[in-house]
Amino acid sequence: MSSVPFPRFNPRVLADDGSDLQFCTTCAFSHACLSQGMDKAALMDLHVLVEHVGPYHAGDVLFREGDPFEAIAAVRAGTVKTCVTDRDGHEHVLGFHFPGEVIGLNAIDGHRYPCDAVALDTVMLCRFSFPKISVLAARVPGLQRELFRLLSRDIGRAALLAGDWSADQRVAAFLVGMSRRLAARGFSASHFQLTMARTDIANYLRLAPETVSRVLRRMQDDGLLAVERRAVSLLDRERIEALAAPILRE
Amino acid sequence: MPSQQIAFDAGLLRRYDRPGPRYTSYPTAPQFSADFGEAALREVARASNEDPIPRPLSLYVHVPFCFSPCFYCGCNRIITRDLARGRAYLDRLGHEIALVAPLFDRDREVIQLHFGGGTPNFLDAAQLCGVVETLRGAFRFADSDDRDISVELDPRFCNPADMPVLAAAGFNRTSLGVQDFDPKVQAAVNRIQSVEETRAIVDACRGAGMRSVNIDLIYGLPGQSLDGFRKTLDTVVAMRPDRLAVYSYAHLPHIFKPQTQIDDALLPDPDTKLALLQAAVEHLTAAGYVYIGMDHFALPDDELAVAQARGGLHRNFMGYTTHADSDLVGLGVSAISHIGGSFSQNPRDLPSWETALDAGRLPVFRGMRMDEDDEIRADLIQSLMCQGEVRVRAFQERHGIGFAEYFAADLQRLWPLADDGLVEVGPDAIRATPRGRLLLRNIAMCFDRYLDQTSVIDARPRFSRAI
Repeated sequence: MSSVPFPRFNPRVLADDGSDLQFCTTCAFSHACLSQGMDKAALMDLHVLVEHVGPYHAGDVLFREGDPFEAIAAVRAGTVKTCVTDRDGHEHVLGFHFPGEVIGLNAIDGHRYPCDAVALDTVMLCRFSFPKISVLAARVPGLQRELFRLLSRDIGRAALLAGDWSADQRVAAFLVGMSRRLAARGFSASHFQLTMARTDIANYLRLAPETVSRVLRRMQDDGLLAVERRAVSLLDRERIEALAAPILRE
Repeated sequence: MPSQQIAFDAGLLRRYDRPGPRYTSYPTAPQFSADFGEAALREVARASNEDPIPRPLSLYVHVPFCFSPCFYCGCNRIITRDLARGRAYLDRLGHEIALVAPLFDRDREVIQLHFGGGTPNFLDAAQLCGVVETLRGAFRFADSDDRDISVELDPRFCNPADMPVLAAAGFNRTSLGVQDFDPKVQAAVNRIQSVEETRAIVDACRGAGMRSVNIDLIYGLPGQSLDGFRKTLDTVVAMRPDRLAVYSYAHLPHIFKPQTQIDDALLPDPDTKLALLQAAVEHLTAAGYVYIGMDHFALPDDELAVAQARGGLHRNFMGYTTHADSDLVGLGVSAISHIGGSFSQNPRDLPSWETALDAGRLPVFRGMRMDEDDEIRADLIQSLMCQGEVRVRAFQERHGIGFAEYFAADLQRLWPLADDGLVEVGPDAIRATPRGRLLLRNIAMCFDRYLDQTSVIDARPRFSRAI
C-alpha cells in the first residue's frame, strides 16, 4: 500500500500524536531526534516545551503581522499560508507550510511576526516557546543543528520563485516542490490535494489565476498530470521535473 | 465495458415497483433546508472559483408558464394565456442573471444551456434568443462544437419557421413533448396534439441543422392501451428522433394538483402498465435504439450512447449528458443549482422569487452543503445510474476508503437484489445485470443514507414509483 495522500481527512487521525518518547511522525524535529540520537533526557526536555494547539479551521488567523513573537510552531496537520498585505491592501502570499514544517522562524529577528499566518484547512500545531527552546538547544547539539537547518531551508525557499521563469516552469516547480515536501513527511509524492485556493497559488507564483488553470489544463491534456477538483495526480514525473529543473537548480 | 443490454423480466419489475427517487441529484431535494441562504450561496460560488481548474458551467433557465394544463403534469408551472406575464418574467430573469453571473470567474466557460418548463416556447423565438444573448453577455460561452443550447418545446405552440431562428442563435438540441398520439389518451390528459404538427417541428429542427431531437413519451396514462401505445411507438420511431425518453406516469394527486382531474378508473392496472413498458423497450430496441438508463434511449451513433460506451456519461438535473462535471447554475422560479458540493433552489412560487429579485437579493430559499459521505454516495449513485456499474478499486482509490467496510450496511441491503439477479456483487465491481438495468434506482436506493428517514416512514409516497 502506498503512502496516504495529503491531507488526512479523518479528523481522528489528522495527525498521529507521539508519546513521551516518540515524536509525531510528521514532527519537524523528528529528524533531529533520529539522526542525532538525542538521549532520553533531552527528548523529555523537548517534549515538555511542546504545546499541542488546534484544531484551527479554514480562514482562522494563527498570528498576525506585528504580533509580538513568542513561539515558533510546527504544523502537525493541514496547511498554513503565510502572507503580507501591502499598503494598497493587496495580499502577497509568501508561502505554504505543510505538516512537519515550521512557521514563525522569520520572526526571530525583530521580536514581532513579520507576516500573517492563516489556516487553509483544519490545522493543528505544535508550539514551542522560542526562549525556552533556545536554552535547550544550547545543551543539545542535535537540536541546534536542526534549528539552523530549518532556518536555512526557509530562506532558500523564499528565493525560489523570484527569477524570470515561464508560467509552465513556475507551476511545475510548485508541484514538484510540494510533492517532495509531502513525500519527506511520509505522504504520497504523486497524489495530493491542493489545499490552497487557485488565487493563492497564482499570487504565490506571480501569475493570473486563469493562467494557473490554463497551464494545469494543458499539462493535463499532455498527460503530465490529472486534476479532479482539488486533487492532483502527477502522472509523468520525469517531464514535470524537467520543466521545473531550472528553477529548482539541479 | 458496461453492458447496454436490457432484459425485461415482468415478475421482477412487479416485485420491485416501489416509490423511489430518480437520482437526478443525491442527496435529493427533500434534504434541502432553509438554513442554506444567500450568504451560503455566495460562499460556495466563491469557493467554486478556487479549484485549480474550476469546473465549467451549465446553465438552466426555467420558464414556468403553459398555455394549457396537461392533467398528468408534475412540474412547477403556471397556466396563462397572458403574454405580458412572459415579458415581466423576462425582466426579472435579466435581474437575476445580472446578480448571479458576477459570482463566477470569467474564465469559466458555459458548456451547456438548457431551457425547461413549464413550456419554454411560451416565450416566442425572439424572446428565447434574447435570453441567450443576455446570457452570452454575462457569461463566457465556449466556442467548441460540443457546447449545447437545448430547449423543451411543446409542438402545439411552435411554428416550424421559428426553428431556423433558434438555430441561428445557437440552439442545437430540442426536446419535444408527445406522451401518446392515441386520441383517447390525449382527451383524458387534456393534450390534443396531432402527428402532423409534431412531425413538422421534428423536420424543421432537422432542416435547421439541429444536432439532435428528443421525443418524450409517457406510459401509464389514463386510457392508455397496448394497441394504442404500439401505434404511437410506430409513429414516433418513423420520425427517427435521436433520443427518446419513456417516462412512467406517477399518479400522486395529493402532491400534484393537476392530477386530481384524472379519472382514477381510467388508469391502466399494474399489469397493463408493465406491458406498456415492455412494448416500449422491445419496440425501441428492435428499432435500433440503445438503452441509456432510467427512461432514456438513444440511437447508437448519438453522443449519449457513444459516451456511455466509453464511460463518459453524466447525469444532472437536466437528465443524462455527455458533459463532464460542471457547476450547474439554475435561473428562474424553482430552478435548482449545484455548485461545488452544494445544492440550492430558488423559491417555487413566483411571488417569492419576484420579491427577492425586486429587493436585489439572490432568490435562494433552500439548499444544502454535501458532507464527505454525501459526496462519496453521490459518486457511487452517479456511476450506477450512468454506467450501470461501480468499479470497486478505482472507487476506493478516488475516495480513500475501504469499500466493503464503508458500505457494509448498504451491501447487506444489496444482497437480496443480488439474489434476485438484478445486480452482480463481486470483489472488482458492482454491476447491474440486463434484468436489473430497468431497476437502477432500486439498486441505487440501497446506498441512499437518507431513504430510511424520508420515504420509507412516509405512509404516502413522496417519490414516483420505479416503473
